[in-house]
Amino acid sequence: MRKRTAASYLVTLLLAVLAAVSFFPIYLAVINSFKTQGEMFSSVMALPTKLHFENYVYAYQQINLLSSVKNSVIVSILGVGGIIFTAGLAGYKLSRTPGKLSNFIFFLFIASMLVPFHSIMISLTRVAKSLAVQGTTYGLGLIYIGLGVNMAVFLYHGFVKTIPKELEESARMDGCGDFQTYFRIIFPLLLPISVTIGILNFLWIWNDFLLPLLMLTDVNRYTLILSTNMLFGEYNKEWSLILAALVLTAIPVVIIYSIFQRFIMEGITEGAVKG
Amino acid sequence: MLSKGYRKYLSFFAFLAPAFIIYTIFLLIPTLGGMFYSLTDWNGLNPAYDFVGFANFVEILRADPDFLNSLWFTLKYVVIMVVLQNVFALFLAVLIESKRRSKGFFRTIFFMPNMISLIISAFMWSFVFTQVLPQIAEKTMLTFLDQGWIGDPSVSFYSIIIVSLWNGVGYMMIIYLAGLQGVPQHLQEAAIIDGANVFQRFMRVTLPMITHALTICLFLTLNGAFKVFDVVYGLTGGGPGRSTQVITLNIYEEAFSSNFRYGYASAKSIILFLFILLFTFIQISVMKKREVES
Repeated sequence: MRKRTAASYLVTLLLAVLAAVSFFPIYLAVINSFKTQGEMFSSVMALPTKLHFENYVYAYQQINLLSSVKNSVIVSILGVGGIIFTAGLAGYKLSRTPGKLSNFIFFLFIASMLVPFHSIMISLTRVAKSLAVQGTTYGLGLIYIGLGVNMAVFLYHGFVKTIPKELEESARMDGCGDFQTYFRIIFPLLLPISVTIGILNFLWIWNDFLLPLLMLTDVNRYTLILSTNMLFGEYNKEWSLILAALVLTAIPVVIIYSIFQRFIMEGITEGAVKG
Repeated sequence: MLSKGYRKYLSFFAFLAPAFIIYTIFLLIPTLGGMFYSLTDWNGLNPAYDFVGFANFVEILRADPDFLNSLWFTLKYVVIMVVLQNVFALFLAVLIESKRRSKGFFRTIFFMPNMISLIISAFMWSFVFTQVLPQIAEKTMLTFLDQGWIGDPSVSFYSIIIVSLWNGVGYMMIIYLAGLQGVPQHLQEAAIIDGANVFQRFMRVTLPMITHALTICLFLTLNGAFKVFDVVYGLTGGGPGRSTQVITLNIYEEAFSSNFRYGYASAKSIILFLFILLFTFIQISVMKKREVES
């Protein structure tokens, strides 16, 4: 028994060391974001002697924080909301309709999950340009719906099978139409999988870099990630400023994570097991 | 009054239409478009282009050393990432799973980097590589810390691996943790009674019981590694020279930043797609066999 306790302490120690190593870059970014450039060059490891918030003020202005966050929020809400709305309808109907056409459409959705974004990005820019959705915040949100809907249809399709058909039949007896049945009876029952889908897609859309890089040209429409990227390009050597911007960029995600922690963990495992 | 069958069709299409239309426009058409453009000499700007058959593919394989280098570099990255990411994630998950009280804390800490977007992670680490490590090396005489983390081609490969691992391991760890939770305690206890040591219990009991999680994580890491872009873009930009240019970056530059050869770049993207398909197919069929055996 004693040996087991010793081993257990050893495991904790090992985990603690690894955790410290893993957390170290974040810690360094935070402490150095409060220093002047000079302070940093004399020692990156030392704690700041005085908190230089002016780095944050400057970064806040340079990445146009309010507007960037607003754009990111619009794109994410449109993308996530659109995916849940459209994929829920489709996944439900496909799951409940036997037949060749239904199977074929479902197969199309699944097969496209294997296509890497990089294989479609070139002609996607052309499609976006010809539909005049390139360069707009809403257009970007729409594209995310198109790219994310296949995976969501797949997840909904599987989940609908766990809902007994009798519920719909009795709703129909009571005179509900198809859409009424879906929105009143089925959609609320899909909530667990909707939360999973919502979280997985939110994390992807909020943190995505390449698609906004390809689609957005107007600085006022930049998402948060894109603004930070631009800042990094311009102020390559001014580390206090860049670190402050990086910390600012990470803060919204950290807040969301602390609120939804349990759902994020469940979302990842659910999504993985069902996907 | 509409007939019942007709109404059923109508309802089917009404439910499908929103998802299917938007999917067709932004995913299906670009996919088919990419395949089509790969057979043309389209330059992305000019509306006119010629159909050139497989000329792009021939050129890529015969006369594009940059692409072949990026392919080779990506394959090396994929192999190392798939192995290390899964080994680390599984290792962490097993350690964490054994802790009752501090489980939540460690899970959060190791998952945290995953919340930070890849490009931001890359910027954060380029600070560590260019500012922190050289300074530590200078002050402590741990000279090995002062490498050309970003500037030296032979080292920057490992920098890319380090950042990718730092960001990605947490996600796989969560999936493994979920898998481990499904391993019944009594099996472990039975193995202890039979005199199995820690290693034997892991190989004979734990691993077979989490084959499903292993399949998923291998799939995710394999796919993710082939598509690596943000980390390389943010950390080295593919340099120095083109030494760390992964396939995705090669495609991106071919199409958007230097040559504007959209048709040619599309052909490259088809090759990437085929590689992913091939490797995924092999991985899934190998793993399926294992799942049946256990």
